[in-house]
Amino acid sequence: MTQIKKTLKLLRRSPYQALAAALAMTLTFFVASIFVILVIGGQIVLNYIEQRPQIVAFFKDDASQSQIRQIEEQIKATGLTREVKYVTKEEALAIYRERNKDEPLLLESVSSDFLPASLDISVKRAQDIAQITQIVKSNQKVEKVVTPENLVEQLVKWTKTIRLGGIVFISTLLSVSFLIIIMVIGMRIALRRDEISIMSLVGATRWYIARPFFLEGALYGLVGATIASFLIYAFLLYYSPNIQEFLGPIQVFPISPRFFIYLWAGEAATAAAVGIIGAAIALFRYLKIR
Amino acid sequence: MIQFEQVTKKYPNGQIALEDINLKIDDGQFIFIVGPSGAGKSSLLKLITREILPTSGQVLINAENTRQIPESKIPLLRRKIGTVFQDFKLLINRTVFENVAVPLEVLSRKDSEIEKEVASVLEKVSLLDKADNFPVQLSGGEVQRTAIARAIVARPQILLADEPTGDLDPQTARDVVKVLEKINKEDKTTLIMATHNVQIVNHFKKRVIFLKGGKIVKDEKEGKYDTD
Repeated sequence: MTQIKKTLKLLRRSPYQALAAALAMTLTFFVASIFVILVIGGQIVLNYIEQRPQIVAFFKDDASQSQIRQIEEQIKATGLTREVKYVTKEEALAIYRERNKDEPLLLESVSSDFLPASLDISVKRAQDIAQITQIVKSNQKVEKVVTPENLVEQLVKWTKTIRLGGIVFISTLLSVSFLIIIMVIGMRIALRRDEISIMSLVGATRWYIARPFFLEGALYGLVGATIASFLIYAFLLYYSPNIQEFLGPIQVFPISPRFFIYLWAGEAATAAAVGIIGAAIALFRYLKIR
Repeated sequence: MIQFEQVTKKYPNGQIALEDINLKIDDGQFIFIVGPSGAGKSSLLKLITREILPTSGQVLINAENTRQIPESKIPLLRRKIGTVFQDFKLLINRTVFENVAVPLEVLSRKDSEIEKEVASVLEKVSLLDKADNFPVQLSGGEVQRTAIARAIVARPQILLADEPTGDLDPQTARDVVKVLEKINKEDKTTLIMATHNVQIVNHFKKRVIFLKGGKIVKDEKEGKYDTD
């Protein structure tokens, strides 16, 4: 406790440097939070799309049930599908009637002969849509294949780009935070040169002298990560209606408080580690004890 | 006990600070190290605190060769030694109390214990009423006594004082050395004081080691500072 009090006292003596270091950490971890949420959000959207039938193959009228079953088996044999559902003409009519039950005009004079039988296919991984589509299209009994292939491909691409961009951007910000912490703690070591020399001469161990600087580094990290987590929580709370409206049927909110606790804990631990490692580098570089 | 055995200290710039020093200081002694500026007095003290190492020969503190003390054990040696520095080395942004408390903080003593010990030692050097003052608010003698208080607060076995009466008027200088003598007598602390203050040395009649050009030219039990 005394050590923490002493560290806080040191911070009060040069608050602007402390503020610079804490703000650098806040910015780094705020941006990191945004990327984490974007990546997780992207994954949720992708999972939503992957769980829906992504390929619908409509058959020609002359396709027999056994021919359709044969194609179904062929697709299942690839091992790439999650579910393959055979929808007969009668079932298609039932679905059509259900969807349009409020519009009697559309239901008039519609019989099962008007609607084609189909296979609703969902794949395990979005990347396999193209391969399955190819197999289905090559069958002569298939009249038309509907697939959101492009949308999924785009989503996969975007998620990958966000992930990669996030790693590059966060690494850059982390490096800047590192350098700021090394600089700030280096300045503090220089400012306390006399005190360090006196402490060394009265018998202080190297660890005793270094400990407040490690605590200081960890504190910058903890404060930065905590402010960043709070900001991102407030941001998501405020904009959740808009984001949900944009995402439509894809349910993302409410985000569990546990997620924010994990996010804060992960960021706080990373930030404290950055602070401590930064302090260690500064101490190694600038702390000279006779 | 402190022993110097054929100790020579040569600095990297070629200057020979001490040459072939043989010296034995028993526990509880009060010694004046005298000599003109550049005679090697400060180097001798720095060899004891292991701020520097001898170029040749050995320095033994309680039969332990300072050269063989590993880096991690140096703090343990320094905890046995209190030092009053020539330039005081007080922290200007800390009060008298806080300055004196430093050696106890280093030893991780409890706050209540620190408070008690510091108050007791400030009383000993008659500075209790100045506990909350900063060094700039003190007179020369008070600064010097604060430095002494810091040096003795952790009850060291050895007390080194490097020119502690430097810029003080004769009366204040005498008062400061009286404080040191009291500590030597009451706590049986070995006291080594480097000085070139003739009046002080001649007044207190202690063992005097005269250094000149890095060599011991005189070592007398109840010596006098003979400047001739």
